Amino acid sequence: MSAAMALVVNGFREARRNRVTVVLLAFAALLVLSSAAIADAAVSTIYRVLVDVALGGASAILAALAIFLSCGSLNQEIQRRTIFIIMSKPISRSAFLLSRVGAILLTLLVLLLVMGALFLMELKVYGAPFHRSQLAAMAMLFVELVVLTSFGALMSTFAGPIVSAVVVAGVYFAGHASRDLYIRAQRSGSALLRVLGKGAYYLLPNLDRLDYKPAAAYTLEPSGRELLVNAGYGLAYAAVVLLVATLIFDRRDFK
Amino acid sequence: MTELPIRATGLAKTYRIGFALNRRVNALRGLDLQVERSSIYGLLGPNGAGKSTTIKILLNLVQASAGSATLFGRPVSNREARRRVGYVPENPAPYEYLTGLEFVRLCGRVLGLSGADLDAQCTSTLDRVGLSRAKHLQIRRYSKGMIQRVALAQALLGSPELLILDEPTSGLDPVGRREMRDIILETRDRGVTILFCTHIIPDVEALCDRLVVLVAGRAVQEGSVRELVSTGGSVVEVISEGGEPGVLDGLPVQSQRRVGDRTVWQVSEAAVNDLLRKLLARGAQILQVQAARFTLEDLFMKTLAEANAPRVGSEID
Repeated sequence: MSAAMALVVNGFREARRNRVTVVLLAFAALLVLSSAAIADAAVSTIYRVLVDVALGGASAILAALAIFLSCGSLNQEIQRRTIFIIMSKPISRSAFLLSRVGAILLTLLVLLLVMGALFLMELKVYGAPFHRSQLAAMAMLFVELVVLTSFGALMSTFAGPIVSAVVVAGVYFAGHASRDLYIRAQRSGSALLRVLGKGAYYLLPNLDRLDYKPAAAYTLEPSGRELLVNAGYGLAYAAVVLLVATLIFDRRDFK
Repeated sequence: MTELPIRATGLAKTYRIGFALNRRVNALRGLDLQVERSSIYGLLGPNGAGKSTTIKILLNLVQASAGSATLFGRPVSNREARRRVGYVPENPAPYEYLTGLEFVRLCGRVLGLSGADLDAQCTSTLDRVGLSRAKHLQIRRYSKGMIQRVALAQALLGSPELLILDEPTSGLDPVGRREMRDIILETRDRGVTILFCTHIIPDVEALCDRLVVLVAGRAVQEGSVRELVSTGGSVVEVISEGGEPGVLDGLPVQSQRRVGDRTVWQVSEAAVNDLLRKLLARGAQILQVQAARFTLEDLFMKTLAEANAPRVGSEID
C-alpha cells in the first residue's frame, strides 16, 4: 500500500470513528426513510415526493458533511500538530493534501452508497418504479461533492475552519444560483454590477449543471453525452481548485 | 565523501504577524550548524530562542527566509533525505482515535515499509519504548509519557540515521525522563546521530556531546559541553566551619556565603593556600576543598545576560 493510500484509508477510519459523521449518517438514514411517511400524505404524487425528499435530504446532508470534513480535517491536523509527524516522513505535501481529500471523498461515497441503497429499498417497498435518472442524479451529486470538497481543501490551506466553512457554504449557494446571479446582474443599470455578475458566473462553479434531482423526480433521463460533459466540467473545475490548493499548501509554514 | 547529517549556513527565519502582516518576528538570525555523525548535539536556549524553528526548517515544516540547510548533503525538501530521519515533535500529537500499534503502522506505511518488515519493526520499536502491553489501547487513553513513547517509537521506525528530538523529556516524570535519556543514549551507541532541543539543562549535561546556545535566534555559544563549562576559569571552593572567619582582607575572594554554621568560599587557584592558612590561623576547621564547578546552568545564565536579549521570546520589529 502506498503512503498516500495508507493516509486515505486512515482518513476514512478517522471519519468512521468521528461521532459527527455517524450522527449525520443516522440522521440522513432517518430522513431518507421518513420520505415515505411524507409521501403517504400525498398518494397521487408518491413517487415524486419520495425522490424529492430522499435525494434532496441526502444532497443537503452530504453537502453539509463535505463542508464540515473538508474545512475541518486539514485545519485540525495543523492546529493539533498531528501533521508534524506525518509531514516529517518522506511524503510530498501535495500527496498529503490529496490523500486528505481522497479520504473525505471515500467517506462521502460510502455514505452516498448507503443512502442510495436505503432509497432503492424504499422504492421497492412502495412499489415505486426504479429509473436510471435516479442513479444519474446520485452520480452527479457525488461530482458536486467533489467540487465542494476541493473548495474546502483550498480554503483550509490558508484560512481557519470557520472562515473556510462560511466561504464554501457561500460557494454552494452561489454555485446553485450563479445563472440567476448572472441574469440579474446583466439587467442591472450599473456597469460594475454587470462586470461583477459576469465575473462571478465564470469564476464560481455552476452547480446547477450537476443537479439532476428534478430530472429524477420527473423520470427525465439525461443523455449519456450530457452527463459526461457536465461531470467532466465538475471534475475539471475541482482539479483546477485542487491544483491551486497544492500550490498554496506547498509554501505554507507549519508553526 | 561522507556528508554531515546536518549542515546549515546562515539560516534565518522571519515570521510576519498581525492583521496586515506588517510586524516581523525574527525567530532565527543567521544560524550556522554542523552536526557530526554518531553524536548527540544539543540546541539549548530559552523559550522563543529559535530552537523549534531550526528543527522545523530542517524537516521542511517551515521554510527558511534566508540561508540553506542540508540533511546528508541533500536539501531539506528532498524526500529521500527525510527517509533517513526520525522526528519527535514537541508535545507530540499522534492521531488519538488510533491505537498505539495502528499509529506506528500508519507511520511505517508512510515511510514505505510493508509486509513482514513493517510488522516486525512495529513490534520491536513498541517493545523498545516499553509500550508492548498498551499497544492495543487507543492513544486518547494514553498518559503524556505514553504519548511521548509512541512518538519515539514511530521515529525509530526504518532505522533512522538521524533522530531529531524536540523537547523529548518535557512534561515527563523523573522515571520517564530517565528512561527517555537511556533510550537516547542507547540509540546514539547504535551509531545514530541525534539533534536534541531542550531548555532543560540537566538533560543537556547528561546527554549532549556538543551544543549550541541560542538566544533570540542567534547562536551565542557553540562547542562541547566540557569546553563550554571550562571557560569559567579555575576556581576553588573551600568549606570551613568555626573560627569566626568574618571578612578576610587582602585576599581575592570571589564569593563568600554562609550555609548554616559553615562558610563557603570561592577563590582563584592561586589564592587558595593563603585562604587556608588564614582560616586555620583563626581556628577554623577546613571541611572541604574542591574545584568549583562552573555548571552549564551558570554558563547559560551568563550567556543570556551577556546577550542582552529578551529572556523569553524572539525580537519583534
